[in-house]
Amino acid sequence: MTFAVELLGISKHFGAVAALDNVSLSVEKGTIHALVGENGAGKTTLMRVLYGALQPDSGEVKLDDQPHTFKNSKDAIQHGIGMVSQHYGIIPALTCLQNLILGAEGGPIVKVSEAKKRADELAKRMGFEFDWDSDAETLSPAGAQKLEILKLLWRNAKVMILDEPTAMLSPSDSEALFASLRKLVDEGATVILVTHRLPEVMDHCKTVTVLRGGKLISSHPVSEVTDRSLAELIVGGSLVEPPVIEPVRDLGIALDISKIVVKDDRRHDVLKGLDLQVKRGEVVGIAGVDGSGQRELFQALLGVRKIDSGSVSIDDQEVTNWSSAKRLQFGLRLIAEDRHEEGVIEDWSLEDNAILGLQRLEPIQKSLFISTPDRHKWAEVVAEKFSTKHGGLNQPMRTLSGGNQQRFVAARALEMSPKLILAFQPARGLDLNGTADVYAAIREKCKAGASALVVSFDLDELLIHCDRIVAMNRGELRQPKPEEARDRQAIGRLMVGAQ
Amino acid sequence: MIDVLRLALIMATPLCLAAMGGYTSERGGITNIGLEGLMLMSACVTALCSAHFGALGGVACGVLSSTLLSILHWLSTQKYRIDHVISGMAINAIAAGGTNFLYGKFSDPNNSGKLVVMPTNYFVVAAIIVPFLLWVNSKYGRFGIRLMAAGSDPDKARLMGTEPITIRFWGLTATGIFCGLAGSMLVSEVQAFTDNMTAGRGYIALAALILGGWRPIPTFVACLGFGFLSALRVQLDGTQIFGANIPAVWASLPYIVTIVALAGFFGRNRTPAGIGKL
Repeated sequence: MTFAVELLGISKHFGAVAALDNVSLSVEKGTIHALVGENGAGKTTLMRVLYGALQPDSGEVKLDDQPHTFKNSKDAIQHGIGMVSQHYGIIPALTCLQNLILGAEGGPIVKVSEAKKRADELAKRMGFEFDWDSDAETLSPAGAQKLEILKLLWRNAKVMILDEPTAMLSPSDSEALFASLRKLVDEGATVILVTHRLPEVMDHCKTVTVLRGGKLISSHPVSEVTDRSLAELIVGGSLVEPPVIEPVRDLGIALDISKIVVKDDRRHDVLKGLDLQVKRGEVVGIAGVDGSGQRELFQALLGVRKIDSGSVSIDDQEVTNWSSAKRLQFGLRLIAEDRHEEGVIEDWSLEDNAILGLQRLEPIQKSLFISTPDRHKWAEVVAEKFSTKHGGLNQPMRTLSGGNQQRFVAARALEMSPKLILAFQPARGLDLNGTADVYAAIREKCKAGASALVVSFDLDELLIHCDRIVAMNRGELRQPKPEEARDRQAIGRLMVGAQ
Repeated sequence: MIDVLRLALIMATPLCLAAMGGYTSERGGITNIGLEGLMLMSACVTALCSAHFGALGGVACGVLSSTLLSILHWLSTQKYRIDHVISGMAINAIAAGGTNFLYGKFSDPNNSGKLVVMPTNYFVVAAIIVPFLLWVNSKYGRFGIRLMAAGSDPDKARLMGTEPITIRFWGLTATGIFCGLAGSMLVSEVQAFTDNMTAGRGYIALAALILGGWRPIPTFVACLGFGFLSALRVQLDGTQIFGANIPAVWASLPYIVTIVALAGFFGRNRTPAGIGKL
């Protein structure tokens, strides 16, 4: 067996925290190798070491049996390693072609027509199509993902690292991605897939390596593990059982959206007279593909997007023209879609972030001032709720891994007496037990009298955790028929607008 | 009318050169309010050195001085991570005080005549060519693509194997050269150096850059516009329109236009996304 990549005894510390502790990984040439583990298990850190973006404190990197030390990513790229990071490396201000060739332009003057020719050849090989002169900001998530793959090919990468590549993709786009990857592997490439989604591991990978808490747990051929056994290896214990959905007692309407009309950024009507009622104590899931109007609906409910007509009431109180601040004071809480952009301020400390949006509420604000002791206490509560791993509440938010940030943001929204919880992908970037924990907490608050509206692009997640699911398509909500209320296929059809 | 147009071109030249200096700095992600200081330093050194080394030598020394000052901005913002605006203000302060001191100390008090200077036409030609070169560079140049990448998202640019810090060094070197030329142009125009002779042109250049959406050609056009406004003011000075003098407020027009532009009345915001990020 020949190994394309061997990482031997890698350790890496950030301050006092050991992100990686003597981790080894051997990846067989010409296979897809899965790397799985909870948030903060060290998957991304390990991959960044291989990619030269981080220097390990100790340990050895071998490519094709030759030891190498990569000073930076440039070095690693030159040795045939390519990486697609979680948030994609596409720079929106550049054109598709410029993104493709950035860092490997082939000389001080770019020969644009030659570059386009080679770009087209690569695209054709993968069955993709690109308008190379268009700005990269026009790309859909699936398009950006395809461009990332071509970027690896452009650099002649032999070892391809993909960090959570399907997090933003629809099921059919994910299938297409794996078809591409299999093609590349057949041609001799080696793929390391970092993922949370176990079905991807079972369906597409040959070997799987499990990390937990910065340590290597084990490596197995995928044929020797099951979904269940793998999940238990990842969490290091038994799994949280999915909740039993009980019928909601009728305690009246908590959220009443009546015929609202809302425009999108291009000034087109995106919600055209949308109606939705959420009962008190109910968790309602909105299923739909990205861009169906979920974002605008949430912004309108939060009061940051103008409602042109129609009305919104919370607990029989009309809030249509209220400011966001007033709505938050009334008990509206948000788990934002994009935690980097909307959920946290990364340069601020955890403690400061803990009160974002809640700063006017008791007990954080006392008369005109923010009470620092109460803020500190509150931040501790928020951090403990979902056991966020952190190195001190005074540390900046950006020192937390993505999953830990999500835990923190979810806890912040749920802990301070919510009346209506708006959760946009509340489990984004969370592992299995983390997801279960967040939904369990939402349910607990709903049992105590709140209600929740949840948007997710993962229909299975909604089916497990919500009382009721409605499908959103082109700004319209559709109720599945009562007998098909939990029918995956039926809801899937409504999501894409089929009858 | 021809006079006004010719004057407009002359007035636009230092603005345009300085704005292009701002472009190579800000497009790469470094906020630069020090354009004013760079111009002033170059103007002073050009005037001082022209007396000893001739016209070309003077320009060379002027450009060198502003380039060194520009690299100081790179050093403080990239190596020592000082806030870009503070560093820029320091550059302006150094230039304002430094030129006053240098000129007082080294200028020849006996030589009250005019300096030997480069013809202004050279600078005018440069001010027309440079924007086009930078535009071509942004389309076809490796440096242009990498500069844009560094200014849009330095982290992603790094992951693609480029080094934003190095790219920005060359960007700021170019800033020094272009602002240096702009300063020399001012000296050529009046064949002398006077205290604070830039008179806010660095900021107007910045305004043109913002108005042009950090793109070379539109910025060039904005500079022409500002140049035309200034020329008109000079031509109309003292004459009366509708029975009133040209109001002093005219001089602040570029700033008003910039505020309107920044408020988003002229299309979308094009500020480089990674500006100020390391």
